[in-house]
Amino acid sequence: MSSLLPLSFRPTNFGRPADPRDWQWYAPRAAVGLFVLALVGLLWVLHRQELEENHAAVIRDILWVEQSIRFSLDRDVEQLRQLGQEAPAGRDPRQLEVTVKHLLLNSPGLLEVALLNEHGVATASAPVPMTPGGRSWLGLDSEADYRLATVTGKAVYSAPTRSMEEEQFAVFVPYYRQGVLAGTVVGIYGLKAMLANLVPWWLAKKHRVTIQDSAGNLLAAKSNVEARGAPDLTHQVALDPPGHGLLLHVESYGSESRLLRYSLTATIVVLACILLWNLRLLRRHVQRRLATEQELRAEHAFRKSMEDSLHTGMRAVNMNGVIVYVNPAFCRMVGYTESELIGHAAPQVYWPPEERNHIEEVLRVARADGSSGKEIELKLMRGDGERFDALIYDSPLIDADGKQIGWMGSLLDITERKRARERVRQQEQKLAATARLVTMGEMASAIAHELNQPLSAIASYATGCLNVLQAGGASAAEFRDALEKTAQQAQRAGRIIRRVHEFVRKSEPVRTDVHINTVVQEVVSFAEAEARTRRVKIHSQLSTDDPELKADPLLLQEVLLNLLRNGMDAMAATPVEERELKVITERAGQTVTVTVRDRGCGLSPEVQAQLFDPFFTTKPEGMGMGLHICRSIMEVHRGRVWAEPNPGGGSAFSFCLPMAS
Amino acid sequence: MSGAIAHVVDDDAAIRDSLEWLLKSRGVAVRSWVSGEAFLDGLSATPRGCVILDIRMEGMSGIEVFDQLLARGFGLPVIFLTGHGEVQMAVGALKRGAFDFVEKPFNDNQLVDRVLEALRRDEVVHHERETEASVAARLARLSPREREVMDRVLAGEANKAIADALDIAVRTVEAHRARVFEKMEVHSAVELARLVGRRS
Repeated sequence: MSSLLPLSFRPTNFGRPADPRDWQWYAPRAAVGLFVLALVGLLWVLHRQELEENHAAVIRDILWVEQSIRFSLDRDVEQLRQLGQEAPAGRDPRQLEVTVKHLLLNSPGLLEVALLNEHGVATASAPVPMTPGGRSWLGLDSEADYRLATVTGKAVYSAPTRSMEEEQFAVFVPYYRQGVLAGTVVGIYGLKAMLANLVPWWLAKKHRVTIQDSAGNLLAAKSNVEARGAPDLTHQVALDPPGHGLLLHVESYGSESRLLRYSLTATIVVLACILLWNLRLLRRHVQRRLATEQELRAEHAFRKSMEDSLHTGMRAVNMNGVIVYVNPAFCRMVGYTESELIGHAAPQVYWPPEERNHIEEVLRVARADGSSGKEIELKLMRGDGERFDALIYDSPLIDADGKQIGWMGSLLDITERKRARERVRQQEQKLAATARLVTMGEMASAIAHELNQPLSAIASYATGCLNVLQAGGASAAEFRDALEKTAQQAQRAGRIIRRVHEFVRKSEPVRTDVHINTVVQEVVSFAEAEARTRRVKIHSQLSTDDPELKADPLLLQEVLLNLLRNGMDAMAATPVEERELKVITERAGQTVTVTVRDRGCGLSPEVQAQLFDPFFTTKPEGMGMGLHICRSIMEVHRGRVWAEPNPGGGSAFSFCLPMAS
Repeated sequence: MSGAIAHVVDDDAAIRDSLEWLLKSRGVAVRSWVSGEAFLDGLSATPRGCVILDIRMEGMSGIEVFDQLLARGFGLPVIFLTGHGEVQMAVGALKRGAFDFVEKPFNDNQLVDRVLEALRRDEVVHHERETEASVAARLARLSPREREVMDRVLAGEANKAIADALDIAVRTVEAHRARVFEKMEVHSAVELARLVGRRS
């Protein structure tokens, strides 16, 4: 469709319109970008907050652990001192064992308890009974700690040492009786056991709690699972007691929420990307749509301008005959506005009332045929009542599904064309009549001249003779001469007349057997065209037995045609619906009569008297020969022609002929 | 009507003959010509009478013959015979000096009457022409001085005044005047004025 369009009608910026409204497209993009940024920012802030919170939690937890270790150790120191004070020397080691066992149960990390006397010699130990006097389990480096404890009288912790696959440290708790050092209780702690007992499960779940020495070497750990947390999620505090540079180290395992957060962020970014992509798709779609709309608009405008500039009227009716579309040319033609026409059903306002039935019939016949583009000539009416001739091409209106939804008609106003044609025809007729007149005139002039010569001569001779007679004295011989010459001239005139007669006789009728009805039918069908133009109806009422005569059919046709034309002329002023010519053939005995009845102006008695005289006419352009010729033809055929008033108004012309005998 | 002759020019023998008969019956001398050419050829240098011309003829038409007559300066009165549809031409000819036209078929004695009138007019014209010719011949005989004197006499001057104007003796004027009268074949100044004045 668009290939039919001239180039100028195509949108040139298809696909990339330099649209000033582009900002409409950048705004949502920017909004999406900002939204994503804000989300990411929010996430980051949340993350930071969480980290800080986590960090705080780690610190809180580690302090809690450290504190609980300290509490535990301090309590143990008190219990160990009490143990020492309550255990007199030489007491039953079994009793000690029971007490220690009870102590071990309540003191996490405490592995072993030994009693030293005031000289630092082990006297008892539990749960493992020791060899009395032996102090081999006490490392060299704890010697200083023992001394320090005994000197200060306070509990002193030793540096951890590795023993039996475990870092252990000892606490030396001196006890006094009556202000005198009575001995020392040594508690052996396992770092690992201590952690295992003092770090609760909910904490161990979140953090890896380890104990490290000052060099960062791992001494004990609650769990063997390595934490992969961020470095800021670790914290360490000095573990004192037992001191000696021990550090309590906590590493957070990091939460699963991190994964969630990452996936959330990723989702947001992906969604934002999808959103942007969709925006882009939407934009392209809208652009295409706009371009298509533009194209459609151009196409529509082009079609509209085409329709508006047409001189041909266009109208569409649906299957019920209701007008659904008219173009401006049609409106101009019929003189109604579009709104006055659309929605109107048949009979339409532009159908002249007297033509309604005819138009309906013609349209019905044309449409029943089904063929398209049929040419129909109709008389239509403008808004001001003026009639005009229109040529209509009516064709089925087919919709996109191939279904007929109505009729599309194009109209041409052919009034002018018809008028011009009629004018030309009339001019030709006039010209032909003039030519006939000229020819006749010339012939008449020639005959007149020819006859004038002998007539003049005769008159001169006669007058001369009279003159001579009056004067008297002329001889008989002289008279005879003149009279003889007069007679000769009379003969000459006679010869001229005979010659004319002979000339006329050359067109004598050619008689053949003719059926009068056939003649009438032929003439009527010939005259129909003219009758239609003059809006006259011709009715034939033919004799049933179709009489046969001997006559010149051409001459009979001439007579009948003449009578028909006269009838039509007579009805020029008669109202259209009354214009009717009736042709009747009758047989009465051996005579056939043909009558032409009109509903015209009728004949006055003066006119009727001269009707058949040559050169008598009532028409401005008539020659006055028509009826005269008719009479001549009838006389040749031994018939006659006459006129009488028509009983129903107008006049009746008849001619009768004897039948072939 | 001495010397008056009617020339009938028609290519139709019957018309010629019948007109001859008719005109002769009223005492008019007739001469017939079979065609315009024959008529023009046979005319004398000073033709007299009148011409009856048929408009429609073989060869030269009546109008053409009339044109030739005009061209040759012959003042013969011409009566045209016209047929059907030729009146227009005849009227044209009438305006150029033709005497009359008669439509065929004609009332014969009326035609003869018109012929007689035409002949009479020819007579008058002829007489005038002759007088004119003789006056011209007499004037030609005057000497220049006599002509001068005559002009002044015709102007009504007295002899004395003429003598003064021409610076000659009164007697000489009288002698000239007598010779003018003699040569012009008149007897008085009044007669002289009538003769010469008509011409001018």
